[in-house]
Amino acid sequence: MALRDNAIVAYAETKVMEKSDRDVFVLAGEMLEALLDETGTDKNEIDGLVMAGLTGTGAANPFWAQTTADVLGLEVGFCEQVHTGGCSAAGCVARAAAAIDYGMCEVAFLLFADTHVLEDRTDHSHSYRREWTDPYGLMGPPGAFGLLSRAYEAKYGLDYRMLGKLAVTQRNHALMNENACEKLRVPITIDDYMNSRMIADPIRLLDCVMRADGAAGLMMMSRKRAREKGLTKCIIPIGYAERTNFKGGENLVDVTKSGHEICGRKALGAAGLGINDIASFHPYDDFIIAIMLQLEAFGFCRPGEGVRFIRDHDFSYSGDLPLNTGGGQISAGQAACSSHNLVEAVRQLRGEGGKRQVMDTRNALVTGIGWINYGRNWGSSAALVLVPE
Amino acid sequence: MAKALNDTFGIKRAIKHFDFSEPYWECTRQKKLVIQYCKTTGKYQHFPRPVSIFTGKRRDIEWREVSGKGVVFSYTIAHRGTPLFRGTEPYAVANVTLDVGVNFIANLINCTVEEIKVGMKVKPHWHPLEDGTHLLMFQPDKDPA
Repeated sequence: MALRDNAIVAYAETKVMEKSDRDVFVLAGEMLEALLDETGTDKNEIDGLVMAGLTGTGAANPFWAQTTADVLGLEVGFCEQVHTGGCSAAGCVARAAAAIDYGMCEVAFLLFADTHVLEDRTDHSHSYRREWTDPYGLMGPPGAFGLLSRAYEAKYGLDYRMLGKLAVTQRNHALMNENACEKLRVPITIDDYMNSRMIADPIRLLDCVMRADGAAGLMMMSRKRAREKGLTKCIIPIGYAERTNFKGGENLVDVTKSGHEICGRKALGAAGLGINDIASFHPYDDFIIAIMLQLEAFGFCRPGEGVRFIRDHDFSYSGDLPLNTGGGQISAGQAACSSHNLVEAVRQLRGEGGKRQVMDTRNALVTGIGWINYGRNWGSSAALVLVPE
Repeated sequence: MAKALNDTFGIKRAIKHFDFSEPYWECTRQKKLVIQYCKTTGKYQHFPRPVSIFTGKRRDIEWREVSGKGVVFSYTIAHRGTPLFRGTEPYAVANVTLDVGVNFIANLINCTVEEIKVGMKVKPHWHPLEDGTHLLMFQPDKDPA
């Protein structure tokens, strides 16, 4: 058994909401019901619950996954919360596959439900922040990406209009995505991006992700079991890697480089693909520049050539490298434990992208970015390669 | 016209210390900057840790006094402050590479937006806190080398 012996057999997703009008457990129940209905599965077949640890609502409850299993009436042999921040969604796929391979469960429910606008119990105080950044008013992720952007600019130069091009492409995708947050479904131009107000100069408002509420879910099982159940629209994970605390045992590091370099090589190697074989790219986007840094780290272009690469390519759903075709988190809303880009990749490979359907569905590369460390870039990096059955 | 930056001196800061960084804060009472040093590898590290990040050993850590001089590695201008800092924008937060080879994030004061450049030389400014410790900030170092 291996990663690629497992299948994502179904997905479900709520519309992204500025603020949820229902409890997070109701959202969880909606995902469960939708996945059971879609696959014709009996509730009692589910024996694995895998949840993203990136939750604001559940953050203060050390028993969050068990509480959720109880609320939903699920008896499971594998109950897991994945704590790699914004890498959690992709990490859930890898861990569910590992648990199925090992025999800890046969049918896994992957749940990404959060209402961190409605109720946020996140507490960063037992970390470096209390002594080393909070006293200086460095505002969490925007401040950290402000420092990162300026360091990149000093090393390579940075044409911010090209970041604006990515922002516009993603926004155009959100306009075609009925599940994207309504507040964000307004057209923007590169000038709008450039003129949006500074938050943590050089980070502008339209660089930033907006927190929102919502849920998504996946169901996974072995390909064998999927065949036995007659489930045909399966998506197969064929390569995965993650890296936490890249160069964490070193002191001064090049902040323009990240663990994605390692993840990309490993995940693509397992998949037997080169970066130029990638048909659509679904990078984690908390800030626009993170997309550009990933274009470099994964080897779409060389370090320092991100701006040129953006200038030379069309990232729209019909372009030569379709990117975050659901709008990304920045234009759909940062909801559902940051699973949005993963779910969109699954949707696209199933050919269910509707008017934003990509032409080439041979594969998709999904990534994660998780947590902000001190004066570097980010804590965790992940890469997941998916193909249709 | 040069854009004024807030020095953030008016912010009331109550900082909860980790026990393993207490030697740092104690030394700031005398405006002395100490940084953790790994005896085995001969390298400095910041922020303070309970172990050497190079060897994983607690016993490798000692504290050494350093000059606090360095160069700006990066900076950001906060136009939207954290809740405690709201109303004091804009202010500068810089990531400074100290001459002993660690990066230290702190407010950068006594300069305008136009003056701040990556690579500019800076030196310490000690801002007094109510508990008798001092908060390290940076300011332009115009002293001859």
